[in-house]
Amino acid sequence: MDRLLLLSDELAGAVQQAARAVVAVHGRPRVPSTGIHWRSGLIVTASHTVQTDDDLTVTSPSGQSVPAAVVGRDAALDVAVLRIGACDAEVADVGESDVVRVGHMVLAVATGPRASWGVISAIGAARSRRAESDVFSLDLTLYPGFSGGPLVDARGAVVGLNTSGASRHLQLAIPAKAVGRVVDAVVRHGRIPRAYLGVSTQPIRVPEGFREEHGQSQRTALIVVEVQAGSPAAAGLLVGDVILSLDGTAVTDPLDLRAALPSERIGQRVRASVIRAGRALDVDLTIGERPARAR
Amino acid sequence: MDLGRLADNLRRITVEVTSAGNAVGAGVVWAPGWIVTNAHVIRHPRVAVRFADGRREDGVLVAGDRTADLAVLRVPDVGLPAAVSDESDTLRVGSLVVAIGHPFGMRGALTAGIVHALGPITAGGRPWIQTDLRLAPGNSGGPLADARGCLRGLNAMIVGNLALAIPLSEVRCYIRAAGGPSA
Repeated sequence: MDRLLLLSDELAGAVQQAARAVVAVHGRPRVPSTGIHWRSGLIVTASHTVQTDDDLTVTSPSGQSVPAAVVGRDAALDVAVLRIGACDAEVADVGESDVVRVGHMVLAVATGPRASWGVISAIGAARSRRAESDVFSLDLTLYPGFSGGPLVDARGAVVGLNTSGASRHLQLAIPAKAVGRVVDAVVRHGRIPRAYLGVSTQPIRVPEGFREEHGQSQRTALIVVEVQAGSPAAAGLLVGDVILSLDGTAVTDPLDLRAALPSERIGQRVRASVIRAGRALDVDLTIGERPARAR
Repeated sequence: MDLGRLADNLRRITVEVTSAGNAVGAGVVWAPGWIVTNAHVIRHPRVAVRFADGRREDGVLVAGDRTADLAVLRVPDVGLPAAVSDESDTLRVGSLVVAIGHPFGMRGALTAGIVHALGPITAGGRPWIQTDLRLAPGNSGGPLADARGCLRGLNAMIVGNLALAIPLSEVRCYIRAAGGPSA
């Protein structure tokens, strides 16, 4: 068979397959967003498109309207997990997002079905570094209503969740593996746990004298400007301490601190190298889970 | 077939339409001596057509309808092939499509994409082939073809980032009503 025709058929087949697990999420005025039936009874979508947590509805490909409620959000990653009643939408065929490479052909699928086509243009850290995962940059158009929908490979397997939430001009997808981690957390804990130490910090220059004395090449570090009462940091850090590194990894920006604290590390020990009153000091802390109110 | 050969075949059935001395769009050789294009491309009764091999001929406007956005021209038969229209392979959302036109005067430029959706943009509107193609002024009236190079529609409009094509069935009906041959 003709190669182009074969490709055309495969792309159309991939859209058809992915569309069976796609729902419309009515979580904002006007244009509904798209959601993926990730596991039986659980929908994932882009968090920025769901403006309330309760009294939501989703519409299945057959037109069935089903009540839904948000059970967890990862706003940094822009993923929301919704629990729904019985729904006739199929469960998505989730693929392996680790094997996706720059240049791979992908499709974005939305309700309708509607589709757009392009390639993975880059894989890398999100600009904010707030998220714990790499993201896919897409060379395709995410049309209105496409956020929250599946990014599928040429075989129709879901490799990501599309979002234009970061910027209208930035078309991104959250890799399926990271979405899966969020869903796992929601299933296991009923929420998305966040690791924290309980400090507020600001970047400062490491004092010249200290650098010479300790042969320290690091130029910037984080000064502790607040220690939250009852937090893990309260057990060992003081306001005015300068944090150089965590477990040997230099921290020069408050976002580095976040990056050093993935949720898997909750309950584990971490060694902070700090400067206190001009002296080098190691402080052992236990990474805690951020209380719900303070998120 | 590869995209290059497909593009070469399509270029031969694509013309450049000049109205009142300005190149304004594209057109399709529907049958020997018959050109179909968008009505909005024809801004003046004095119409000329430039064929893929560079020959220029004056065209006579046979029929034009602003609402349907279709127009039919008669031109001398220059012996170039006409469009192949075979709809046996159903277009689906995701099907590969290509367009040939003259975006911003770039003659015979190829654009590839997929079918974004099929049907009206708003409920009750006219049906379109909505495509995920990057079109520009100069593509109007040019062919939208499938992966086999068969004509499937006429590129007519850009709405947002979407390219809208008039489905072949409508084009065929219109040409028949205008007294043209079936292709």
